[in-house]
Amino acid sequence: MSLASGVSIQDECITAFNDFRMSHGKTKFIIFKIADNKKEVVLDEVSSDQDYEVFRGKLESAQDSKGNPAPRYAVYDVEYELGGSEGKRSKIIFISWVPDNTPTLWSMIYASTRENLKNALNIHTSIHADDKSDIEWKTVLAEASGGKAGK
Amino acid sequence: MNSSNPPQAAEYGGDEVSAIVLDPGYSTTRAGFAGEDAPKSLIPTYYGKYNANGQEKLIFGDDVFVTPRPGLSVHNPIGKDGIVEDWDLAEKVWEYSFTSRLTGGKPGNPFQNGLNDIPHEELPTEMEVETHEKPLADSPLLMTESGWNPAKAREKTIEVAMENWGSPAYYQARTGVLAAFASGKASALVVDIGASNISITPVHDGMILKRGVQHSPLGGDYISSQIRALFKSNSPQPITITPHYLISSKTAVEAGQPPQAKYKTFPPEKAPDASYRSLLEDRTLSEFKECVVQVWPGPNKLAATGPTGVSNEEMARTTPGRPFEFPDGYNQVFGADRFRVVESLFDAKAALPDPDSPFPAPTQAQTVPELIKASLGGVDVDIRPHLLANVVVTGASSLLYGFTDRLNHELMQLFPGPRVRISAPGNTAERRFASWIGGSILASLGTFHQMWISKKEYEEHGPNIVEKRCK
Repeated sequence: MSLASGVSIQDECITAFNDFRMSHGKTKFIIFKIADNKKEVVLDEVSSDQDYEVFRGKLESAQDSKGNPAPRYAVYDVEYELGGSEGKRSKIIFISWVPDNTPTLWSMIYASTRENLKNALNIHTSIHADDKSDIEWKTVLAEASGGKAGK
Repeated sequence: MNSSNPPQAAEYGGDEVSAIVLDPGYSTTRAGFAGEDAPKSLIPTYYGKYNANGQEKLIFGDDVFVTPRPGLSVHNPIGKDGIVEDWDLAEKVWEYSFTSRLTGGKPGNPFQNGLNDIPHEELPTEMEVETHEKPLADSPLLMTESGWNPAKAREKTIEVAMENWGSPAYYQARTGVLAAFASGKASALVVDIGASNISITPVHDGMILKRGVQHSPLGGDYISSQIRALFKSNSPQPITITPHYLISSKTAVEAGQPPQAKYKTFPPEKAPDASYRSLLEDRTLSEFKECVVQVWPGPNKLAATGPTGVSNEEMARTTPGRPFEFPDGYNQVFGADRFRVVESLFDAKAALPDPDSPFPAPTQAQTVPELIKASLGGVDVDIRPHLLANVVVTGASSLLYGFTDRLNHELMQLFPGPRVRISAPGNTAERRFASWIGGSILASLGTFHQMWISKKEYEEHGPNIVEKRCK
């Protein structure tokens, strides 16, 4: 067992994620957050908005109860073209967003809960972002496609 | 409020017991209550030893600096590689770190506290009394350790905590993981510049990658030895560091002029050991590092030539120097030399030679860039770019002016392809105490209770449980 916060994952998160998986692209992303009581990961938003920039805007404008920039976890359904006869693919990517100016307390809690959530959702492709440039579409696309798309 | 009324239990915080977080380093030991921003107790890991009336006495904490007692010698229970060498004394120093400031003294043996003295003839034949109340009987304990702490030492540590200190719950966390987490990262390359060691710890998904852990002795103490080497060959005159305890008065002198001070002298039988003087000289060297020493920011080595054909050394000479005054009043402005004392952390050839130094001349493999190269060489190719994009800098000696700039240049040269990004807290306390702060936050979380190794589990499984639970 590696070092972890012990923060639990609310069942609702898992259910929402399973529905997301079965929706085949209809649901586009889910955003999760750690509740203010620091005890569990809860659902923040489920969305079918197809515009990536909407998703990115939501992460960047996430705030805690005091109005400070706040971390989030998210899953996003990345669709990409492989070109030629290979056609369309899609892959779900896990994103941890801990902006640079997050207070140490929340940085610590989000970092030490990340593996627990990622494993509970059973996602293998992930990126960690602490700067706006880390969640640009091309970065996310390159990671999801294993560098095959978006060149 | 009537001051004679005893405070209510609630004013003491009721039954709430905070865990204690203990972050033992080679130079300092940090201890404090979980949930606080900084360790309340910061003591030197060095301890003093002397003889009084034929009895050996030990001094712990800051008191070691205070009085130059006859024959006082200074020791460190931790080896130069950061692993405990003297367990009895390590336990005593660590215990002092929390009993002196945090938990307070525990009641002594009631037979010896003077309250229960009874005449000899009435001496009871048998009496059962708990003679030792254990110092941590009420507090869960989270301790930190380096990435290369061997299994035996880990087991010995939990044994001390559980059996000797009586802690009801225990956890041991790697400093590298704590520092990465404190920066918000579950994967990172942690560059820790400490006193006796510099180390590189790759952390992936919250686990250290043991095959990539690298360390070398080019830390703060090594830099001090380089400054000593500089002082010997200094111009206009070699510099001797005379600690404050040897000076009774001083007069201001012009820069570069011999000191005008009255010295205290100790007859041989009254003098402290050479190790005491050396420890106090190191304090002056620490100040020197904070005020004067600067890392050549790059790009390229100090020995290299810049794009305009002017050597970097020449460039360094043209920057304004920095003045420093020694305890005896001697003062001068240090120019390019202030870059040279630290250059060998990046370029082994730049080391200042000193036959008397306890540090052998460094090898290139011991420098920061080469350690990082070796560390990345020990981990899976796929995760190297992720680690380089998440370099976390920690440790007090990383606060040397210009360190992170130089590191950035070196890494960009070594790894021109992937994106290199360094994250180093600007806040001094967060840089010095990153691991302690990380431990403090975790141990204060209500949800962390499931991670603790309980006394009962320890008793069932023995010290080896630390290998299974604290990976």
